[in-house]
Amino acid sequence: MTKDSRPKILVITTSHSSYPGANAVGQARLAYDSNTYIIRVPDPVMFPEEFYIKALTNGIAGIIIMSSGSDCPYEGAYPRLAARIQSTYTKMKALNMNINRLKITTICTVCTESFLKEIANMEKVVAA
Amino acid sequence: MSLLNTVESAEPKKIAVYVCHCGGNISDIIDVKKVAQTLSQYPQVSIATEYAFMCSSNGQDMVINDITNQGVNRVVIAACSPALHETTFRNALKRAGLNIYLYEHVNIREQASWVHKQDKDGATHKAIALIKAGVEKIIRQDALDEIKIIANQRVAIVGGGIAGMRAALSCARAGLKVSLFEKRSTLGGNLNRESLIYPTNQTAQSVVDQLGSEVKNNPNIDLLLNAKIVSVNGFAGSFQINFIDLDSKEQTIGSGVIILATGFDHYKPYEGEYAYKTSPFIVTLPDFTKILDQSAQPKALLYEGKTIKNIAFIHCVGSRQMDGVDTPLEGKNLNEYCSRVCCTSAIFTINNLKIKYPNTGIFDIYSDMRTYGLEHESLYEKASKNDVLFIRRPLEERPQIEQRPDGTFNVTSTDVLSWNEQIEANVDMVVLVTGMVPSDISDLVDNMKLPRSTDGFLQEVHLKLRPVELANKGIYIAGTSQGPMDVIETLNAANTAGVKAVSLLSLPEILMDPFIAVVDDDKCTGCGLCISECSYDGALTMTDKIVNGKTKKVAQVNGALCVGCGACVAVCQPRAIQVAGWTLDQFEAMVDAIAKE
Ligand SMILES: Cc1cc2nc3c(=O)[nH]c(=O)nc-3n(C[C@H](O)[C@H](O)[C@H](O)COP(=O)(O)OP(=O)(O)OC[C@H]3O[C@@H](n4cnc5c(N)ncnc54)[C@H](O)[C@@H]3O)c2cc1C
Ligand code: SF4
Ligand code: SF4
Ligand code: SF4
Repeated sequence: MTKDSRPKILVITTSHSSYPGANAVGQARLAYDSNTYIIRVPDPVMFPEEFYIKALTNGIAGIIIMSSGSDCPYEGAYPRLAARIQSTYTKMKALNMNINRLKITTICTVCTESFLKEIANMEKVVAA
Repeated sequence: MSLLNTVESAEPKKIAVYVCHCGGNISDIIDVKKVAQTLSQYPQVSIATEYAFMCSSNGQDMVINDITNQGVNRVVIAACSPALHETTFRNALKRAGLNIYLYEHVNIREQASWVHKQDKDGATHKAIALIKAGVEKIIRQDALDEIKIIANQRVAIVGGGIAGMRAALSCARAGLKVSLFEKRSTLGGNLNRESLIYPTNQTAQSVVDQLGSEVKNNPNIDLLLNAKIVSVNGFAGSFQINFIDLDSKEQTIGSGVIILATGFDHYKPYEGEYAYKTSPFIVTLPDFTKILDQSAQPKALLYEGKTIKNIAFIHCVGSRQMDGVDTPLEGKNLNEYCSRVCCTSAIFTINNLKIKYPNTGIFDIYSDMRTYGLEHESLYEKASKNDVLFIRRPLEERPQIEQRPDGTFNVTSTDVLSWNEQIEANVDMVVLVTGMVPSDISDLVDNMKLPRSTDGFLQEVHLKLRPVELANKGIYIAGTSQGPMDVIETLNAANTAGVKAVSLLSLPEILMDPFIAVVDDDKCTGCGLCISECSYDGALTMTDKIVNGKTKKVAQVNGALCVGCGACVAVCQPRAIQVAGWTLDQFEAMVDAIAKE
């Protein structure tokens, strides 16, 4: 199969919250573009700044982190994640990268509309 | 180099990939033959095949057969969501004698075929990329051992309301010892009152008394009244609860599981909120229930020397609050949630009032009538037949209350039901239908690092997949400590928590998924950066260890306290600390596979 030439969007979801949320989008038979790749993690707080920069340099056009926000079941994880994304933005700016290619948002198990909205927004960013 | 609690195998990795049709759910959109064919060419993949229903016994047998007869030692299954069948396939691996963590589940149904119906080629391409990412993950996966912890066969339950009592009985009947801690001198919590409750029409006290006498007579339950919990240490299987007992003595009790049944408080409006405290005739619903219970007057309700002929009930006081409309209590957030029980409770109280004093005029000002639940709607119908005048206000509008010189009140509200007409009701009393707020357990929350939702109630991991479980292992929640519930819902939730406690302690050892942080002592430089990232006391510490014959400082994880959040991972430059089963190397390889495709 030939390489997909469309820009790729990586969606980082949490096992307990946004991953079931992404499933809910499927269960409702809603649709979004197939250039979106969902991976699940216990919590995105585990990724260092370099993880995002490396992915965005090596072929991923945009990343959406779908966290559980202040409803995160892990103590202290959300503020740490938010701070880490801020410092990733600083590093991205220093590298002349468009910081809109990395978005942090909050998605729960039933946020189907917000899920689709975030993907549609990122599609616009990566198409530009 | 393998992570510490992993079992690295010397055998060459032999990977099998199975692509499920899901009876057309997947194969109608995704070209499963093409997917399997493409994967069969992928490095280290020995078998790649597709099948109608992987979860069927034939499908599972296929996996078991390939493990047993073909030497497969890593399995990737591309099918529906792992939430549905991860356990099914783990059990199949177990039956085949393979470590259950040597399997990766790739979701190509909910997150591919179902959402890309109009783009079959795109969905097929995506499935290939996701499965390749799954292969890359499983290549980097070592066998992991479930964590075993010797479990204290006692359950500590905090809160002696109906939730705590019900959970205590579930555990005690299954043979576990229970310590039931109640901070007050009596059991029953908010139901310690004489008034009737819906839907059974019995007194709240009778429910409390029945459960209370069962609790007191159960030899497995140690009841600790007037107990103040000072601190909680330890981890699932071995908690220590330090408390001050009835005689002001400090004591410690050990338990394997903790159930938090700390309940709720009634919302107390601030002075002036809906004219509260400006007159004794502006009362909350719980106060009104008492007034009604205590009134012995034959024909009409008499309160503070005044005959009450007309009453306005105003719903949603302190619940469903809106930004820009309501003012939160000092130091608190707006209560945006619905308290769920107050509509039914208000209507039930109105019906009881109408039985006792049929001539009382009632104006019920609500926004949405949430008399949900078995037969609760019939209470609303009954109230309608009882000449209750219902006024439906827009949610964002607050009724105005004005006191007249004669001591009565003019309550004005828009009524959506009569095309937004302004209705003015002249009443002798206003009942504020107040809801629930979380009880103040901030000391426990801080001490035990308990997760709370934005509403302030305790936060379960997942509504459907892991109900009543907190992210903190071995700690469950029962009843209204989790959010507004009525008695039946509370008892059900408490039973669930009890059953989960019993099932966790059903074996002398607790088995836990080993997805916790592990440190590679060789790589650890002892910098200590990870320690300050960890929010869980005692989960991560620095220690001196002999590594390669030399003593060095390294980070050390307490497997029972680590929750596997991964906060420590991000700051470790040499990648010495990782969450087992979810390592950064695995994720980077997955992302590379996706990017390349
Ligand atoms: C106005 C109103 C009317 C209602 N009417 C009805 C009705 O008619 N029918 C119905 O089905 N439901 C009704 N409900 C709901 C019902 O009250 C609850 O479902 C029930 O009380 C919940 O029980 P619980 O055990 O979860 O909490 P609670 O009753 O609040 O009990 C919690 C217990 O935990 C104790 N506690 C708290 N913190 C600690 C601590 N740190 N250490 C030790 N102990 C602690 C408290 O002292 C208390 O005893 C009504 C609710 C409201 C607000
Ligand atoms: S149950 Fe009714 S009164 Fe209570 S908050 Fe919900 S809508 Fe308002
Ligand atoms: S951050 Fe890494 S290298 Fe530093 S102490 Fe922790 S595990 Fe060791
Ligand atoms: S994974 Fe989380 S809980 Fe475990 S040691 Fe790291 S930061 Fe602490």
